[in-house]
Amino acid sequence: MLPLLIGLVFAAVMQLVVKPNIGDYPAKLVLDIGIAISLAVSLTMVNGFTGQFSMGHAGFLAVGGYAAGIVTYYGSQRIWGDRATHGGILSGRPLAIDPATLPLVGHGDWLFLAALVVGGLVAALLGFLVGLPSLRLKGDYLAIVTLGFGEIVRVMIQQTNATLKPQDIAWEEVYPALPRPAGVEAVASYAFDVIDPATKLGRTVYQAVSDTPAWDVLTHVGGSLGFTGIPKYTSLFWVYIVASITIFAAFRLKQSTFGRAFLSIREDEVAAEAMGVNTTRYKVWAFVISAFFAGVAGGLFAHTLGVGLSAETAGFLKSFDIIIMVVLGGLGSISGAVIAAVVVTVLPEALRDIPQYRLIIYALALILIMIFRPKGLLGTHEIWDRAVWKRVRRRGGSEPGKAKGGSSP
Amino acid sequence: MTSSGRRSDVLRVQSISKSFGGLKAVQDFSLTLCEGDLKGLIGPNGAGKTTVFNLLTGVYKPDSGAISLSDAEVAGLRPNQICRQGMARTFQNIRLFGELPVLDNVRLGTHVRAHQTLLGAAMRSPFSVGEERAMTARARDLLAFFGLEGRAEEQARNLPYGDQRKLEIARALATSPKVLLLDEPAAGMNSGEKVALRDLIRRVQTTFGVTILLIEHDMGLVMDICQRITVIDYGVTIAEGPPEAIQNDPKVIEAYLGAPDEPSVEQGVARA
Ligand SMILES: Nc1ncnc2c1ncn2[C@@H]1O[C@H](COP(=O)(O)OP(=O)(O)OP(=O)(O)O)[C@@H](O)[C@H]1O
Ligand SMILES: [Mg+2]
Repeated sequence: MLPLLIGLVFAAVMQLVVKPNIGDYPAKLVLDIGIAISLAVSLTMVNGFTGQFSMGHAGFLAVGGYAAGIVTYYGSQRIWGDRATHGGILSGRPLAIDPATLPLVGHGDWLFLAALVVGGLVAALLGFLVGLPSLRLKGDYLAIVTLGFGEIVRVMIQQTNATLKPQDIAWEEVYPALPRPAGVEAVASYAFDVIDPATKLGRTVYQAVSDTPAWDVLTHVGGSLGFTGIPKYTSLFWVYIVASITIFAAFRLKQSTFGRAFLSIREDEVAAEAMGVNTTRYKVWAFVISAFFAGVAGGLFAHTLGVGLSAETAGFLKSFDIIIMVVLGGLGSISGAVIAAVVVTVLPEALRDIPQYRLIIYALALILIMIFRPKGLLGTHEIWDRAVWKRVRRRGGSEPGKAKGGSSP
Repeated sequence: MTSSGRRSDVLRVQSISKSFGGLKAVQDFSLTLCEGDLKGLIGPNGAGKTTVFNLLTGVYKPDSGAISLSDAEVAGLRPNQICRQGMARTFQNIRLFGELPVLDNVRLGTHVRAHQTLLGAAMRSPFSVGEERAMTARARDLLAFFGLEGRAEEQARNLPYGDQRKLEIARALATSPKVLLLDEPAAGMNSGEKVALRDLIRRVQTTFGVTILLIEHDMGLVMDICQRITVIDYGVTIAEGPPEAIQNDPKVIEAYLGAPDEPSVEQGVARA
């Protein structure tokens, strides 16, 4: 478990040493990079390892984000009666509180951790459902189905209930019959639009959150207005511990007999099946594992300061960003995905003065990669593999580079 | 030479058929392999030999008929299940995992016999680590057997053609098969390589105790190493017997030569 320990120390250093010394804006960038790494590495497990071209990764990100957001948002409301953060030092509590009185890990952090796991599990379940078509569809067809999945998630989020987000409503409005306790001004309540049977007129009634069963409000996540007000637990510590675990899991997987089974599907599905690889099972597994980590990353995303979780999170543009990272890094290369995640996250910031060129530069980069390195920067290799450096040395080498697209069976 | 009465049947194929649209690719094909057999399956181009392999290994489902491997019915199972039951193959048009190292191609073959779990692998449990080590050792042994140990780290697609054919056999053997199906292993080899391959196939059989069904266009090779030969043409079995009988069978000669005045079987094959 040494690598995990290293990840833990690394994450703690990021939060406690690096963050205070680089300023808020760079810290936010470093945080975005960490989330991007988790997303890119998780997509590598499907697109890179098994060669199934999924284009709906942001769908898992959004589903995980919303699921995790629901847990902390409504959980906080139940547990503490508010929606503030209740974390410790590692989740970067607001500075207003004297750090000396804070624990390293607060109660809220445990709720947050549980929320991340829930986000991952819900996404994994969806990954299972999305993985099923991959058993019958290949190449472009699967790409279209997964693309559709992301769009379905986006539209469904848009259709969720926007009006019933809890608002603080005056006591009298909520409990007209009860005397107001001293010191209580408002009650966190849901607004319900009802039709009065007598007058046939619509009117709004308020119901206290504490009186409303959880399953009645789970779909109340802001609709097209976005899911705002989620407590902001995400810190560099949490981001980099998740990134470390994702990278760690991906490596262990790649180096195991299961990883070879995944890769064999990408290389030649017919041969893999003939050699005893249950290709159906592994393709679905790849989707499930990949979706799990994307869901956890979504949980981090949802709890990030300054992020508005909205239906667009599931949109194609976001999926496209992640695909670019994986393709740029090299299909199947974990270190390649990490490097590309950094580049693709930093690049727009570096080009901040000319944002309108961002997509053009993306497109150009992709075209150049397709022409000169059809397998991405590193192919299936890792940055430290000898093969990579051998190739660099005999620069412009006459490698056959025959693109063996994932679409040919 | 030996009577097959004492040995048990490993593979029993009972009149399997397969049509593609109107084309009857294989009709009423039957075959029995006893333990330790080395049988040849020959026929002109397009006769249906590869289709027989595809039917046996589950790539296609037979329209009718039965296939039993060690007394278990396998017709209708998926290829990976049939492989698990003990049947492995090579491909006529080489299908290696080209981007993967040679070693990993063979290690993948051992996957079907692995017992570790995904979680165990992620946690590097002692069992998983031990099994992984055993798989690697077995793969290296197999590579050494085929003289490929020096190329273990190379990408499979960079191997010369003959070595790729050998690697396919090594990968198939890694699945610990009872029955090994070889689809034209000598294709594309020069005569020197073919001689080496002949000895190699014999050594594979004695070392690994596998039963072999061999598709091959090189008559010299087939006649030399196979104990019995089945000949098919247009999907129909036209002859079955020991090499000497096959060579003189008028139906076989006609199938290969078409017109009776062409000189020899070998030339007929060269045409193909
Ligand atoms: N999937 C398929 N769909 C349609 N026709 C097929 C299919 N597979 C094989 N065939 C046809 O079945 C016939 C037998 O093909 P098969 O590949 O089994 O021949 P073969 O004996 O292996 O020939 P060769 O010596 O050239 O390898 C051919 O006419 C071929 O075109
Ligand atoms: Mg053939």
